[in-house]
Amino acid sequence: MFEKQKGSKESSAPEPETRTPQPAPTAAPAPVASSGATAMIGRGISISGDVTADSNLKIEGVIEGRSVQSKHDVDISETGKVTASISAKVIRISGEVTGDINATEKLTIAKSGRVQGNVVAPRVQLEDGALFRGSIDMNPGQTADARSAGGSAARPTALDSGGKPPGPSTAQVADAAGGARKEPGLTLKSG
Amino acid sequence: MSEPALQLETGAGPQAAGPVTSRIPSKLLGSLFRPPFGSPDTNRRLTVLEIGAALPETVNFFSGFTCRLHFVDLFAEPFVQAQQNRSESELRAAFEACFRFPAGTRLDLCLFWDFLTYLDDTALRAFNAALRPWLHRGTRAHGFGAHHMAVRLANVHYGICDLDTFSLRDRRGPPLHMYPHSQIEMHDMLSCFAFERGLLLPDGKLEMLLKPTL
Repeated sequence: MFEKQKGSKESSAPEPETRTPQPAPTAAPAPVASSGATAMIGRGISISGDVTADSNLKIEGVIEGRSVQSKHDVDISETGKVTASISAKVIRISGEVTGDINATEKLTIAKSGRVQGNVVAPRVQLEDGALFRGSIDMNPGQTADARSAGGSAARPTALDSGGKPPGPSTAQVADAAGGARKEPGLTLKSG
Repeated sequence: MSEPALQLETGAGPQAAGPVTSRIPSKLLGSLFRPPFGSPDTNRRLTVLEIGAALPETVNFFSGFTCRLHFVDLFAEPFVQAQQNRSESELRAAFEACFRFPAGTRLDLCLFWDFLTYLDDTALRAFNAALRPWLHRGTRAHGFGAHHMAVRLANVHYGICDLDTFSLRDRRGPPLHMYPHSQIEMHDMLSCFAFERGLLLPDGKLEMLLKPTL
């Protein structure tokens, strides 16, 4: 694969040392609170349908649907279980996810995290003990692009997520994080 | 994804690897990323097949590249553990089911680790047939081989720390049965690859770089 590039402009440029991949930041869990307000789907709550949040989203309950989307960050706690594709800026998974994941900045799968799906993210971090099955599509240069684009909507992956078709109704529900009604809320599409 | 997440928790599925137990140097791994074989163009997506569990250090290593990593932990597949009871066509179909990549995928790099040594002749031929469609002329593969039963393979996960270093982590569960292959046997049964370089390691294993025969 690589010989083809011999003599090409790209392959003749840097020395081997300069091509050494840059280590990703280690250890510290990714913070999940960049936009202030956080909507929460609490423990014991089950949702069948799609979820769209304008704020950060913390998931301790169960979601089964086609998509979970946030313009900011999504944090799935150890009790959280999501069967849907997920799109957000920064995603941290300590629970269980079956579905494709698109993080425009970073995905972290914590030590208790279990993920089955295809991931698209500029940066991906697995912590010791994390379980992952699927593919990871990484583009380190994409992070800056995403930032300069103002964290624009995540591009959903075309890969199979096994999701359900969206339901017909849309309802605004209270922000469980403390009634932050002035903040953009949480939108549910029932299944 | 077609399989439920609960599969991840069953005994047959992948299990979390233990902590890194040791790091071993490699003289060949870096060759995949350096001249004379060339170097991945960081502007070009590198497509990698990893026949093993996704380990933090491997993901971290590749995070410096524009790449797509396909993690297919064949070590944990029940059909591999029970390969003696299956025909070549059954095994081929099982491997093909594991290699359902998006249309148009061509693998640049295959990381076999010591998996080939856990396949008997029939399974190795089936593996070869299932993998061949996803290769291209520039594909390179890396693996470890054992040529005789005296060579003991540790029941471990392999990862990549850097261009010159592997990590080892204990693999939970019983070890797979070994089927050592000579270089000639390997060449016959894994016909889509030919040896490019080999290095006999102090523990008797052969570290291999393979190139396609397409």
